[in-house]
Amino acid sequence: MIDINATLVAQMLNFLILVVVLRLVAYKPIVKMLEERSQRIAGSIKKADEDAAAAEATLKEYKAQLATARTKAQEIMDKAEKRAQDEHAEKIQATQAEIKQMKDNAKAEMQRERAQAVEVLKGQMVALSMAAAQKIVSKNMDAAENEALVSEFIEQLDKNKIGDLPC
Amino acid sequence: MHEIGVRETVQFAGFTFNWETLVMTWITMAIVILIAFLASRSLKLVPTGAQNVVEMLIVWLREQVHNNLGTRGDFLTPLIVTLFLFLVISNWLGLVPRMASPTNDLNTTLGLALLMVLIVHVLGIYMKGMHYIKHFFQPVAPFVVINAIEEVAKPITLSFRLFGNIMAGEILIIILLKLVPIWMPIPSVVWLAFSIFIGGVQAFIFTSLSLAYLANAVKESEE
Repeated sequence: MIDINATLVAQMLNFLILVVVLRLVAYKPIVKMLEERSQRIAGSIKKADEDAAAAEATLKEYKAQLATARTKAQEIMDKAEKRAQDEHAEKIQATQAEIKQMKDNAKAEMQRERAQAVEVLKGQMVALSMAAAQKIVSKNMDAAENEALVSEFIEQLDKNKIGDLPC
Repeated sequence: MHEIGVRETVQFAGFTFNWETLVMTWITMAIVILIAFLASRSLKLVPTGAQNVVEMLIVWLREQVHNNLGTRGDFLTPLIVTLFLFLVISNWLGLVPRMASPTNDLNTTLGLALLMVLIVHVLGIYMKGMHYIKHFFQPVAPFVVINAIEEVAKPITLSFRLFGNIMAGEILIIILLKLVPIWMPIPSVVWLAFSIFIGGVQAFIFTSLSLAYLANAVKESEE
């Protein structure tokens, strides 16, 4: 049952042949494939990491741009508001100035008209006084002298009384 | 096997060969090569079917080799993978009716064990030189006797363990078939199932012990 013979050597050779054949047929290609796979996996992981980093960078950039845009928009809005306010204030000022101008004008007009009325009144007063004086004195008095007399009288009158006339 | 313990022999060039063992070995080799061929015929990066099984086996054995031998032993992986595949198929072949395991012959197991021990010593001397020879005389010179006995015991235990397990399994299958009537198949089936388990375990034990011996020769002592 346990007789040892040349089969022993034959089995050694058989096994060595099997080792060589298996190494060629299966082991080498499978190990090569395994290495390829691990490289591929490593590559995929690396690429995924890179992609994630790139995405993050892009996101950051977008965020920064958005923030800049927001600031700019705020600035523009502020500027517009300020300009509107300025314009508003300017208009109000202009209007106020116009109103003041109109007021001044009206005042000046009134002053002028008042002066004119006083002048006219003066003239009429002279004529009336003259007429009244002629009727009172009736004679012996030449016209020029009368007029000077009355004018003096009215001047004095003017100083004291006419200034109180309502406008 | 017609009669237990009697082997058919052929004479070739003045040497005697156990014909059945040789034929069964060739059948085993053919099966192993066929499996390897089928598994690696169309290798894909995303594995399917048979590729998965063989790939798993190779990855597992590669890991074993790497853990035991370190990076210097990577070139021995094909040897270990072949050893395991050959032994598993050998052990299981005997469970097929009209077949016999090549490993039920001491010539096969002792041949493999001697081959392994030979590889261990050659690699040891090649990789470590005088350091390897010196380690037989440590810690003191007289230890060379104990070490020599150990070195002789290695192939003997390795081969007889496998031979005994497989031989006993096949003998018991024959005995069970003769003892138990044919309408009562349960004992045979149970023993057959156990033999499948034993076949796998013995193949693994032979492979791992070979690895352990190889580690002695290949692995650097600092590692």
